[in-house]
Formats: sequence, structure tokens, C-alpha cells
Amino acid sequence: MNIAVCICQVPDLPSAVAVVDGSLDLSRVAWVMNPYDEYALEEALRLKERFPGSAVIALAAAPEAGKELLLKALAMGADRAVEVCSSTLQDSFQTAWVLAEAIGNIYGQELPDLVLCGRESLDLQNASVPAMLAGMLGMPFAGSVTALRADGESLEMEREGDDGLETLEALYPLVISAEKGLNIPRKTGIRQVMEARKKPLEIVQASALPDPLVRFAGAEPVSLKKACRFVETPSELAGLLYRGGFFKTAQE
Amino acid sequence: MAHYLVFLEQRGGCISKVSVDTWNRVQQQAAQEGESVSGFVGGPLKPTALGELYGNGTIYHAQDEALSLPSETLLCRILSALVAEEGCTGIVIGATAAGRRLAPYLAETLHASLLGGCAGGSLHSELCRRYIYSGLVLAAYRPEASIRIFLQGREQSRRSFFSTDRPHCVSFDASPFFVPHENLLIRSVTSGNSRKSIAESAIIVAGGRGMGGKDQFVLLEELASLLGGSVGASRSAVDEGWRPHSDQIGQTGKAVAPDLYIACGISGAVQHLAGLSSARTVVAVNSDPHAPVFDAADYGIVGDVREVIPAFIGAVKEVLQKK
Ligand SMILES: Cc1cc2nc3c(=O)[nH]c(=O)nc-3n(C[C@H](O)[C@H](O)[C@H](O)COP(=O)(O)OP(=O)(O)OC[C@H]3O[C@@H](n4cnc5c(N)ncnc54)[C@H](O)[C@@H]3O)c2cc1C
Repeated sequence: MNIAVCICQVPDLPSAVAVVDGSLDLSRVAWVMNPYDEYALEEALRLKERFPGSAVIALAAAPEAGKELLLKALAMGADRAVEVCSSTLQDSFQTAWVLAEAIGNIYGQELPDLVLCGRESLDLQNASVPAMLAGMLGMPFAGSVTALRADGESLEMEREGDDGLETLEALYPLVISAEKGLNIPRKTGIRQVMEARKKPLEIVQASALPDPLVRFAGAEPVSLKKACRFVETPSELAGLLYRGGFFKTAQE
Repeated sequence: MAHYLVFLEQRGGCISKVSVDTWNRVQQQAAQEGESVSGFVGGPLKPTALGELYGNGTIYHAQDEALSLPSETLLCRILSALVAEEGCTGIVIGATAAGRRLAPYLAETLHASLLGGCAGGSLHSELCRRYIYSGLVLAAYRPEASIRIFLQGREQSRRSFFSTDRPHCVSFDASPFFVPHENLLIRSVTSGNSRKSIAESAIIVAGGRGMGGKDQFVLLEELASLLGGSVGASRSAVDEGWRPHSDQIGQTGKAVAPDLYIACGISGAVQHLAGLSSARTVVAVNSDPHAPVFDAADYGIVGDVREVIPAFIGAVKEVLQKK
């Protein structure tokens, strides 16, 4: 089974993100692999272990991704890692486009059987790249999957829908986005990191980007601070909330 | 002139609340500018299903049973055909789990600008302002494509809209969009989950590690049912196995938009608060007067949840009896 996994990195602590004159300043940020991408990669590795002869390629489309992210993917167990360089990516559409192009170049006519992504990246939380990538590759898309059972022919998946647990059935090829709960990603030790250094890590260049569909137009910092009024007793609180009109939906 | 298509989601033969709000709000905004609106809904409907939808325009209804559990792929085929036929310039989708999965797929197919979670929710503003980095940054985005897709949550949908006009419903033949061997199918939904989704609740009582155990959540269930709300949780409470992941609120859980949020034994980590940026009034109960949750709260009580919550339940009952 050929599996491509798309990974990106996000700030370890969002509070390290600063805004200077309407622009984002990420210079103080420490980066980690996006947690949802860890679920995606872990699931790919589990499939590889179950289906002999499988190969997992990790792809990162972030100019500033750096080697650490890809080394982590290799240490977890990916066979190959590919960093796709491009000019600054403006939106999810450009990101998906760059990934789709790289997947096309790597796999040629035969698309991978599965493309796994995280449900969303924790920095911007657009949750758009996986679905857009599926559209560009001409594959169906199963989003926010929390359980996956695969055999050679088909896949059965679960996810939390708006009404409860949904069960899905699909044939290959497919793009899947991984939700929390899918698995518990493995930890890597010194030995895996040493081995990762011997694995192939390629850098490829994306061709000229299409126009973005959405363009960043500035930012401002937000304070979540409110002026908290401390209340002494629960009955005082109940009175305040009642007068505030909050108990309209309450039982009669 | 702008022409909008509203995707109406149905649940068990009824239009979901988010979709009703979305439809009525789009009608109101479109009416102000003299613009037009159409809608699409799939799957069998109860006779009264469209009763809460006001305004003008046409609602296309495809009866097929298969459309009560549609895959993103199937919906995308139908909606993109409708958009082309009607010449829509805007598509509005409620930010439910299904809506969030559909919108980017549709955006790619139509080459449209996807504007998700824009503060204010106006269809006519030049920029979409939305929170990024756990709600610590408010960023502005400019749509560049001629078609826009708006993904809108409940918070922007509160203003109600009444009109004596009603849209008319036209049946829609979806058969050309079914393919014989669909390679992605949603087979079943285990409902039985009759609990109200926290994403749609007007009142949420949430518990964290400070609740001390699974059993203590009975108190929060009692309070929530008394207030007509639902129970949510912090990640720690979910990780402890006290609550299912579907109850988790925050960056890696759900973003919620209740009128009232009561945080019990929750410290107020930035990742938790990220789910609360649209909550109107926040109440915090915590034994630590320096807990960061108080910085994000409108009202606070310093105390042990095991004492404060039962006393609060008693006080609420008393207030309600007097009314
Ligand atoms: C990438 C990432 C994503 C995350 N996503 C989320 C998310 O989506 N949602 C989320 O919630 N968290 C998330 N977290 C975790 C978050 O950082 C916190 O660890 C978590 O929110 C803490 O949960 P808590 O407040 O229940 O527990 P704690 O931080 O342990 O706080 C417990 C609180 O209870 C109080 N307390 C204890 N006993 C009592 C008592 N008897 N009576 C009253 N108060 C009491 C304590 O004073 C304390 O303030 C994420 C973290 C990371 C790194």
C-alpha cells in the first residue's frame, strides 16, 4: 500500500505569537508537529506494519518547515520525507496545490492508495487543506476520522457527526483527515532519531503558484481578559443570572 | 447582483437549527441590498420542516432517501451544479461538523474563496476577520475569487428575522448526480445520542479536572438539565475518561457559542479558552483565586465545586420557584 502523509508544524505555545504593526511575528515561536498530523502519520505507520511492502512518504509544504519536522516523521517510521519549497503560501488553496503537485511528481500516474492529513492545523484552524487536496487529486474525501479498519480492498471508518457516530465505507484511493482519538502516536527515542538521519530526506521546488483564493490582510492582537466580578455566595450568583435573563430555557 | 445559495442541513426530517438561523439571516441581509436567495435541502422532510424559514426565493428539495446521509462528494456534485445553473455568487453553509467538511471541498471544486468563522458574519464586508492562534490574534482576510463560500456558526445567527413572506419549495431531481459505484458512502449513524449537541446549546455547564472524578459530573448534569443546557468538559476531564471526546471544548475540541458558560474546576488554559471566544457570559467556579479562568470570566466564585455547585443548584431552584 502506498501512503502519503501531509504534515506541518505549529507553534508549541500560541502565546509566543506576536503581532507587530499588523503583521505576524513568529520569531519567538518554538515549533512542534501539528498534533493532528501525528495521528495521521501514526495511522499510516500502523497500516504499513499490517500490509507488508507498503511505503509511507511524509510531505511538508512549508518553506520554513525546517529539517526537524521531517526528521521527526522519519524517526516515527516514515520511509521517505519530502520538503516542498515554494514562495510564501498565502492560503489553504496554495498549500493544497503545492502538495498535490508534489504527490503527482512523486507517484506519477499511479496515485497513492491513501493520503492522510490531520483534521486541521492548530495555528489557523481552517481545516481546508485535506478536502482541497482531495479535490485536486480527484479522490473522495473522508474527514475527521476517529477509527479506521482497512483490508486490501476497502476501508471502514468512523467519525463523530452532528447526530452521533457515523460509519463510513470507502474504496481506495482516498484522502482521509485524522481526528483526535484515531490512535495514540508513538514516541521516538535516540535510536530512532539516529536511524532517521540515514533515511532519504529530499527537498523539491514547487513550480509557480496559482493565485490564492483568499489573501491575508493584516492582524491585531486580542486580549481575552474580562473584568471578573467576584460573587460571595451561590444564591447571589443565581439572583444575578436570573435578572440577567439567563434562566428562560430553565425547567418550569 | 449577488445571488446566494443556502445549504440547508436536515436532521431526522427537520431543518437543523443552525440552517434555520443561517437561512433567515441571509434573507435579512439580502433583502437590505435587494439581492436574491435560493436554498437546497436533501432527504425526506416532515410536512412542517420548512415552517421556520421566512423570506423569498426558492428552496430546491431532493427527496431521495440517500440524501439524508450524504457524503461530501455527492453533495459537492449537486451543489456545484446548482451554483452554476443559478449563477450564484455566494454559498452559505452552517458551521456544523458536516458543513465544515463540505465547504473546503466545494471551494476547491468551484474555485471559490472560503470565508470561515468570520466575526460579525456580514455577507457584505470586504474583509473577513477571524480568530487564529487559539483566539489570541484577530486576522483579516480578503476574498479574491468571484464566488464566495461563507461558513457561519450560531453566534452570528441570533438576530431573528420575521417576514410574512415564505420561500416556495420546488422538488429537485438529484438522480443525475448519483453514480452506480460511489466509492465513499456513509453507511449509518448511531443516533440514540439524543443529548443536545454542545455546539448548539444556549447554556453550557462545563467541568474540568477540578471536578475530581466521573461521579461528580452528575452534579453538572443536574444543573444543566435544570437550566435547559448541556454539559461540556475540558481536555483533562476527557483524558481522564470522565467524559467523551465529543464533549471537549477548546482548541482541539469544539468551539461553542452559548449565552451562558459555567466553568467548574477548569483552570482556564489558553487552549480551553480558545473554544470560548464566542461565549457571551462566562461564570467560573474554582478553588484557586488565582486560576487564569477568572481573567476570562464575567462572574466568579472562589470555592470548592463539591460545595458551590449543590448550593447553586438549590439557589437556582429557589429563584425559579419564586418566578
Ligand atoms: C496542543 C494542545 C491542545 C489542547 N487543546 C485543549 C482543548 O481543546 N481543550 C482543553 O480544555 N484543553 C486543551 N489543552 C490542554 C490545556 O492546556 C489544559 O491542560 C487543560 O485545559 C486543563 O484542563 P483543566 O482545567 O480541567 O485541568 P487543570 O489545569 O488541572 O485545572 C484544574 C482546576 O481545577 C481547580 N480545582 C481543583 N479542585 C477543585 C475543587 N474541588 N473545586 C474547585 N476547583 C478545583 C484547580 O484550581 C484548577 O484550576 C490542549 C493542550 C495542548 C498542548
